[in-house]
Amino acid sequence: MIQRITILLCSIILLSFILIDKTGDEWKTAPYKPVYLDLKIPPGWPKPALDFFADNRITEQGFQLGRKLFYDGQLSKDGNFSCGGCHQQFAAFAHYEHDLSHGIHNSFTARNAPGLFNLAWSTSFHRDGGVNHLEVQALSPMTAANEMGESLDSILFKLRKDPDYPKLFKAAFGTPDINSQRMLKALAQFTGSIVSYQSKYDKVKAGQARFTPGEQRGYELFRQKCAACHAEPLFTDNSFRSNGLAKDDVLNDLGRMVVTGDVMDSLKFRVPSLRNVQLTFPYMHDGRYYSLAEAIEHYRSGIITTQPTLDTSLRQLIPFSDPDKNNLIYFLNTLTDNTLIKDPRFSPTREMQYIH
Amino acid sequence: MHLLFHILLFQLFAVSPVATDPAAATGMVKITFVNKVKDQKLALNEVAYTNPWQETYTVRKFKYYITRVAVEKNGDWKTEKKMYHLIDESKPESLSFSFPVPVGNYSSVRFVLGVDSLENVSGAQTGALDPLNDMFWTWNTGYVAAKLEAASPQSKLSRQKVEYHIGGFKGVDNVSKHIDLFFKDAGSLIVKKGSSSEIIINADIDKWWGPNKLSIAETPACNVPGRLALSIAANYATMFSISKIINR
Repeated sequence: MIQRITILLCSIILLSFILIDKTGDEWKTAPYKPVYLDLKIPPGWPKPALDFFADNRITEQGFQLGRKLFYDGQLSKDGNFSCGGCHQQFAAFAHYEHDLSHGIHNSFTARNAPGLFNLAWSTSFHRDGGVNHLEVQALSPMTAANEMGESLDSILFKLRKDPDYPKLFKAAFGTPDINSQRMLKALAQFTGSIVSYQSKYDKVKAGQARFTPGEQRGYELFRQKCAACHAEPLFTDNSFRSNGLAKDDVLNDLGRMVVTGDVMDSLKFRVPSLRNVQLTFPYMHDGRYYSLAEAIEHYRSGIITTQPTLDTSLRQLIPFSDPDKNNLIYFLNTLTDNTLIKDPRFSPTREMQYIH
Repeated sequence: MHLLFHILLFQLFAVSPVATDPAAATGMVKITFVNKVKDQKLALNEVAYTNPWQETYTVRKFKYYITRVAVEKNGDWKTEKKMYHLIDESKPESLSFSFPVPVGNYSSVRFVLGVDSLENVSGAQTGALDPLNDMFWTWNTGYVAAKLEAASPQSKLSRQKVEYHIGGFKGVDNVSKHIDLFFKDAGSLIVKKGSSSEIIINADIDKWWGPNKLSIAETPACNVPGRLALSIAANYATMFSISKIINR
């Protein structure tokens, strides 16, 4: 008898779920079916030094949630500034043509927004390396007063009220709960999945294309004069170095020293990847050089060789003939990944308005 | 007969894991923190206190992380399952927590004030370690182990601000403090099966200002790991004392 009552009760409960389904709440009872994805590790590349996805396995659902968050202005205080506003796909996720980026209330950032790709291989984040894990990186721009300027509390409040996010969080994590950890993990799944490995340089390395003579000469020069820091295949060694730039007395940015407190780290910044360098101008941590020619000229004639923390490899200016300067630029242009910048997987789900 | 034997055998195995070994019986230990300034119970925003350097201050925020809590009987430590407690004066429910231990008479408690380095390098955390709790440095990854914010006419910062955010987990900058407190005159903590005995621990803000001199006029803020943070942490490591033991 008790069994029959139980079966009857279960049936009623089930039936009520089915009835609810008809009202557009199907997602609430939909089973959790994550589609697991693997981080793309291009052939010949090292394994990432830190496994950011050990506790955050990439899923299609998590990636798509991360993509929506990345392009959502609700993450900023006034609704105008999404992550994608200053990290534009067509600029290899740097801020096109901006030396410094804008934040809320007409503020400016203190540093140039770097391109976002191959983050899974990064051993630290930000130009000073102050952030040690991909998941917690996004907290900084979201809450900085001169960037997105929002509190974590308000962001979560807005996401919880949004008609779409509870569904997307459930699809990604199994329940509709929205919390900071899930939001940050989803963002990391999206940004960490951006891998740039399909440039002409990569095709040449794979035997599928050939450098022009100028590019070839530029590559040889690059290997002699640049590759010690901008190490292949990532084109950075993830170290912090001073390249002898004059300190900007208004920005007064001491770089790595800001996070370590060590005077020996004064004016040191993370060696940036040169992949997509054609698209990520302006250059240097504060975007002071608008062209590759200017950036290379710095190494040829502009290094302040008396700077106490200057990298030992730059104690002498790097000689380049004018033609070789051009050849180097030809080579650097082969690092542009046209597949990545057009890949619809990384595009906004609907058209965005960029703030200039 | 055969069936009966099997039933008996089954019962034997089924029962043995829950055999009533007295050592396995557990009760609860409740830990309560009472934040104070000298002998007065802390009152946020209301009461002006005076530090040893004759500087006055009202406390706005007082928060710290407690983890790896353990009680000891005869040199045997019973440790709480690893978790973090954020003691926050503005949230009364955060001032106490309980965990199960075997019955017995305990004579000391120990805990860590701070956040282990592992949790500082493991990405986004939740619970007490959620960055929502405003104890996380976003620009230089790491948790603030203890936070004291106040207002003082002696501060040269705007709005009389006094801000000590003490953190740092790398190498020599690690501010984690192991705290050992012996019950001594307060008596033994007697944990009985099914009951909850309580350890009441005082945390005295007055200890923040010395012996390494911390003067509001000279140093109204500390927001980065390093030497100053270490010297303040060395001070506040002495702020805890046993108030009393309540056996129930």
